[in-house]
Amino acid sequence: MSAATKTKEKKPLISPVLSLILSIPVPGLGQLVSGKIRRGLLLIGSFATLAFLYWWRLKAIGHRQTTLIDIFKKALQLNGLFTVLLLIGLAGLYAWILVDAFKQAKKSRPEGTGIFFLILFLFFAVGWQISQIEMGKLTSRFSEAWVPLKKILWPWDAAITYEKDVFEAAAQILVDSDEAPPPVPEQKEGEPYLVANPTYGNLSRLDENNKVIPGSRINLKGSGFKPETLTQIWWADSIGNEFRPRQEGQYVTVITDKDGAFEYDLIMPYRLTPPSAVGLQYHEVMARQIFEKGRALPSEPLILTVDLIIETIFMGMMATFFGIILSIPVSFLAARNLMSSSWITVTIYYVTRTILNIIRSIEPLIWALIAVVWVGLGPFAGIVALTIHSVAALAKLYSEAIENIDPGPIEAIQATGATKLQVIRYAVVPQMIPPFVSFTIYRWDINVRMSTVIGMVGGGGIGFLLVQYIRLLDYKSAGIAVWFIAVTVSILDYVSANIRKRFI
Amino acid sequence: MLEIKNLTKVYDDGTVALKNVSFDVQDGEFLVVIGLSGSGKSTLLRCINRLIDPTEGQIIFNGEDVAALPQSDLRHVRRKIGMVFQHFNLVKRSSVLTNVLAGRLGYINPYKSLAGNFPPSIRKRALEVLDHLGIANQAKKRADELSGGQQQRVGIARALMQDPELILADEPVASLDPVLAHSILGTLESLNQETGITVICSLHYLDLVQRYATRVIGLRSGEIVYRGTGKDIRQMTDEEFKDIYGEEAVRVSAGKREE
Repeated sequence: MSAATKTKEKKPLISPVLSLILSIPVPGLGQLVSGKIRRGLLLIGSFATLAFLYWWRLKAIGHRQTTLIDIFKKALQLNGLFTVLLLIGLAGLYAWILVDAFKQAKKSRPEGTGIFFLILFLFFAVGWQISQIEMGKLTSRFSEAWVPLKKILWPWDAAITYEKDVFEAAAQILVDSDEAPPPVPEQKEGEPYLVANPTYGNLSRLDENNKVIPGSRINLKGSGFKPETLTQIWWADSIGNEFRPRQEGQYVTVITDKDGAFEYDLIMPYRLTPPSAVGLQYHEVMARQIFEKGRALPSEPLILTVDLIIETIFMGMMATFFGIILSIPVSFLAARNLMSSSWITVTIYYVTRTILNIIRSIEPLIWALIAVVWVGLGPFAGIVALTIHSVAALAKLYSEAIENIDPGPIEAIQATGATKLQVIRYAVVPQMIPPFVSFTIYRWDINVRMSTVIGMVGGGGIGFLLVQYIRLLDYKSAGIAVWFIAVTVSILDYVSANIRKRFI
Repeated sequence: MLEIKNLTKVYDDGTVALKNVSFDVQDGEFLVVIGLSGSGKSTLLRCINRLIDPTEGQIIFNGEDVAALPQSDLRHVRRKIGMVFQHFNLVKRSSVLTNVLAGRLGYINPYKSLAGNFPPSIRKRALEVLDHLGIANQAKKRADELSGGQQQRVGIARALMQDPELILADEPVASLDPVLAHSILGTLESLNQETGITVICSLHYLDLVQRYATRVIGLRSGEIVYRGTGKDIRQMTDEEFKDIYGEEAVRVSAGKREE
């Protein structure tokens, strides 16, 4: 009897040859018609998709070419391996599908799975090309990347600064004019002294091709400085903005001789004078010796990082707090067992669930973008974004906790003559508290983790600082922020896992 | 003490769980209800303390018709009727002691109890009850850390905290192995014999029924099809057996030799 059913099942609907012929125009049609419906659909779909993707990639590689031949030629030239490999693969797949169509239509032929491995491999090859994977970059660029990486991995020398003692002298320079050159300052005993000669000159300028036209050369003579010490040259424009002029790409520094004197020819730096400036523009050139005195102090990046990591933790906490308050009422609306009594409540249940799913599927980072528009930059925007996402996530978890309540204890407490309130207190609450606490702590964990990145879009917290440091190429300060994030998140992870373990 | 008259229960979906059931229970009886799963045993027990509202009929408990009581007055009746369940129905994450104390909720001020504090006299009583059942040393443990037999003892302790005149036991040993089954039923029996608490218990195994029951009723499709004593079970005819358990049921008396 079993043998009879077997032959009945395997009875082919069409002849093998017809199946093969059907598969020639539409690869997979033969299999479909001969009764292997799923296999047929899968093969038709896969072959069509792969052929389309191949064509699309060829067009992308050989763009600007119009005819098929030209596109193929250019693709062959630019990415020969991909073009040839996939062409052979597709041709092989086509042939295999034809053979398969013949075999599938024959009696008692076991279905082979090899063809699907070929399809998978072809998809993998297309994916490799689409996502522009270049494994070589991992190694070839590593030596370049190692410099900033090293700073991020061990940034701690930037975490400490020392109290500074500044020893400096300045001289005024009249810029782009020689009407009333400033006088040479008087020399005072025991104080450093700087003389510029001449005391007027032209700043460096840019011509119409953005080429630098060097400014006037000014001879600087310093004396009365600490001997044999590195001295920085600084420049201040007419409104007192200080900067360090560069010469040949390097900051200008000199070393004083054993009498505390130096001499240096400085080319006046580039500085744009605003068109609104009126009258003579007096700039200032300075020579500055900086001594780091003993006392170690936390550096600005370290202080900022600590400030913001605290802000970050509290952002996560506040968002969780608001999330709990808002999600508890919503969770009752999203609990199937509470909402199954009539079609109205069932409708509310489905609407609530759908809204929660939509909110949850949008990442907090995107909510933060919206919140920044709504309430402006800063931690509050981050809290709003995290709260919105937390409400959706917690409401779902809470409602599942409500759905999973065991009705047994409720029945048992009712049977003792307890009032409704007592039943809630002694049978419902004890069952809900552990999952509630567990989910809430878990959410706090997630919120702190998220608030470390939410600053990147302006939502406050440490992410803002981190992105700034990275954009300023200040990798040591960025490293401090990264370290603090890593340590905070791991501590929180450990603590939350422990608390949750205790409550489950 | 208990008189059931023409009790009928029809569920919302139209299922008739009990059909015109009438019987009496005297003080101090150990009444066992037998019947297949779905025959209405659980519904019957739950109607007595109104966990399920009967559709028709009277349940006269100490001269009061429980079936006619408004919801607000149920508290006073329910606290005199302890209940023990097949799956123990303990709050798994609460301590054993809290579970036992909950048995007293029907007596204490509902608002005061919301804070979770019980008077010291009740705590002492709970420990005594646990001690009596031999699990006093487990009082601080979470209920789900206990074995099945111990959990059912906690369930009995909770029922005893009510100072019950009647204990309803809904298949109390169906999730336990045979040794524990005897131990739990032995506990119920000694409570029944020593303190005179009336017991109504549903059971599956006929050897347990004949060992513990003073009286037996058999239910089939919500109707009483058998009445007898525990001793009668031994002499139960095949016809009576098939009346209760259906035509296809096969009667086995395992481990019993012909004498």
